[in-house]
Amino acid sequence: MRTTLRRLPRSAKACLGVLAALALCALCGPWLSPYTPEHPDWNALSAAPSFAHRHWLGTDAIGRDTFVRALYGLRLSLLLGVGATAIALIAGMAYGATAGYAGGRTERWMMRGLDVVSALPFLLIVILLLTLFERSLPLLLAAIGGYVWIDLARVMRAEAARLRELPFVLAARAAGATGWQVLRWHVVPNLLGLALVYASLLAAQAILVESFLGFLGLSIDQPSAGLGTLLEEGTQELDSAPWTLLVPAVLLVTTLACFQQLGDALRDGLDVRTAPQAADARDEVAPAPIEAAPVAGP
Amino acid sequence: MSDPAAIAIRDLRVTLAPPASRDLLGPLSFDVAAGECLAIVGESGAGKSLATLALLGLLPPGLRASGSLRVGGADVEPGSRAHAALRGRAIAWVPQDALAALHPLRRIRAQLFETLRGAGVARDGLHAEASRLFDRVGLPDADALLSRHPHELSGGQRQRACIALALASRPRVLLADEPTSALDPRVARGIADLLDALRRDMGLAVLLVSHDLPLVAALAQRVLVLHRGRCVETGATARVFSAPAELYTRELLEAERLPSATAAARGDVLLSARELAVRYPRAPRDALAPVSLDLHRGECLAVVGESGSGKSTLARALLRLLRTPARGRITLDGVEIGALGARALRPLRRRIGVVFQDPFASLDPRMSAAAIVAEPLRIHAVGERASHRERAMQLLRAVDLDADAIDRYPHQFSGGQCQRIAIARALATDPELLVCDEAVSALDARNRAAILRLLARLKRERGVAMLFITHDLDAARALADRIVVMRDGAIVESGIAADVLSSPKHAYTRELLAARPAALAVPA
Repeated sequence: MRTTLRRLPRSAKACLGVLAALALCALCGPWLSPYTPEHPDWNALSAAPSFAHRHWLGTDAIGRDTFVRALYGLRLSLLLGVGATAIALIAGMAYGATAGYAGGRTERWMMRGLDVVSALPFLLIVILLLTLFERSLPLLLAAIGGYVWIDLARVMRAEAARLRELPFVLAARAAGATGWQVLRWHVVPNLLGLALVYASLLAAQAILVESFLGFLGLSIDQPSAGLGTLLEEGTQELDSAPWTLLVPAVLLVTTLACFQQLGDALRDGLDVRTAPQAADARDEVAPAPIEAAPVAGP
Repeated sequence: MSDPAAIAIRDLRVTLAPPASRDLLGPLSFDVAAGECLAIVGESGAGKSLATLALLGLLPPGLRASGSLRVGGADVEPGSRAHAALRGRAIAWVPQDALAALHPLRRIRAQLFETLRGAGVARDGLHAEASRLFDRVGLPDADALLSRHPHELSGGQRQRACIALALASRPRVLLADEPTSALDPRVARGIADLLDALRRDMGLAVLLVSHDLPLVAALAQRVLVLHRGRCVETGATARVFSAPAELYTRELLEAERLPSATAAARGDVLLSARELAVRYPRAPRDALAPVSLDLHRGECLAVVGESGSGKSTLARALLRLLRTPARGRITLDGVEIGALGARALRPLRRRIGVVFQDPFASLDPRMSAAAIVAEPLRIHAVGERASHRERAMQLLRAVDLDADAIDRYPHQFSGGQCQRIAIARALATDPELLVCDEAVSALDARNRAAILRLLARLKRERGVAMLFITHDLDAARALADRIVVMRDGAIVESGIAADVLSSPKHAYTRELLAARPAALAVPA
């Protein structure tokens, strides 16, 4: 893993750095300010950014501090992004790897099931869930995770189906490994690289979905709101206090761009084929007629 | 024709661009006369591909060629615009992988006509010229073939089409980069004969780049031996191959000499198949027609055939690795395993080891050598986990690898080393049977000889029976006690190895044997 980190392209390292800085700000930033996200400062309504009253990034129409609220929003967005991605990663890998490795009829049925799930109107279901049950972080996590895992499962299935026919998997089966052993020892470890690439793209997607729900007023807003909710509030105060829109917008764009760029950089960096060979492994495979492995099933 | 050499190279070097400025290739100096074939030989990594790319002026960014290149009496600087103007005109290229070299979505006609137009053929003369070229490369039915896409042609037809494309611009020099190594022996023989005929009849200068010494001996008048980017030895092929002056050349030739099979003590039947047949879903015919064979303890049975002959399907059916169930019966040591459930089969699997063709894909890239070799022990819970490492070390030593290789990962090994690790893994549970599916086909000559010697030793010392699947008759000769020849999913001939190879009964076996270039007479 250490070598993997060292091998990462510079842009990936930069993205990781910015994301780490953002997360640190979201965690510790609010301590620097004397204000809390929910309590209004009646002496400073729609105040412009200034050091004088210590509202560094201004306040909104009812005097809440933009700096603190935006960082709390970022905290919630990051938490949802990472949490939903974790859920999607586990569900998508388990489902996709199983379907891809099993092949045949199991694979077909599992993928048709996935098609059904992805055909469901996501927004409608989330609205239903959020109105029927009390809005809570776990519910929102499950809703977003349940939406973004589908693409990951498809990608994982395709990769697992490719791995299934590789000689090292065949060798393990020929040696008597059970399906579970093959999945655990060979399929999942070899899926991880690709899964990580997708995870950072998924995180961006999850954060975007959360802000979208927030913008519609469907995200949680207690005790503090996510970036999407802040954006929605900001648009209403565009004339009197544009900073309430600009600050969360800049944070959201930076976060999304970092995750997206990280995904692209990881895809290049983790490609084993571009990894350098050891110095003494000089002779390569001589070209030879590689016979296509007999393909069974579709 | 005042200049006798069709192409003359002086001090060709390929260097890494500054700041590294390291020499990767050269200096190389050679001439090829019209109507002559010069072969550049060497192992993989010797710089053959680099030389090809440099001569075509297609070096990747970061590499620079220097020296001088004289084609048809005109000097050009390597990599210059003038050099690029020669490519596909005076210098034509015949690729190794014709399927990858042809545009997959355009018909052969469009690709050939485009090239002909570039060579200045008038629009109304295109068809006649195309037919003439196809006739020249041994594809008489030009009209039918021209309207096909590359994937609709056979491997041999594709390679011939590529040669036709190369000839379209009436080149002086044909640069053939491993032109036959992706083909079956019979097809390869046809392509080799074609290249030879073109050289003789059209006075082409052929520059053959190859690692296949018997092919080189058959085609080339002169040879240049390349090792680590330097020219080791050059001279007339007959002289270099019969009396090599350099130690390295001698080593290369030595690798062609394979061990000869030693008769094994033959025990009772270990594995037998009766009326074994496989048909893949939605396939029009059986991939494996009903086939019966017996493998005795301690003997090596070679299954020989070209690609598509069903030999790999046979191996996988015997190993019960196919997802499509096979018909017929398979017995291992008297136990019927053909219809056994996966769970009941599992304990029997430790009695069979398997080695596949592609050494890199055979090893999980995320496992260390120790974990790979000990995997069968882990699967069958043999002994304590702590003892596995010691056992892995023993196994690695048994396949002539250093014990300190144990913590390295597959990408740190060479192809030959990877194949040794795969063999060590196959031996982990002390199997009675080793199934080798094209186990030496992806290796270069030196590694092939070494792995064959290793397998022969394992057979002799451990008395392990082998099912040796191969398309390589020389490898079969080196190892097999008995040979089965397969074609189109059926067995056409079987018998004692020496008998089949010396006096084949079936016409197809005779064809296979005739297709090989004569084995080299290696100087002792």
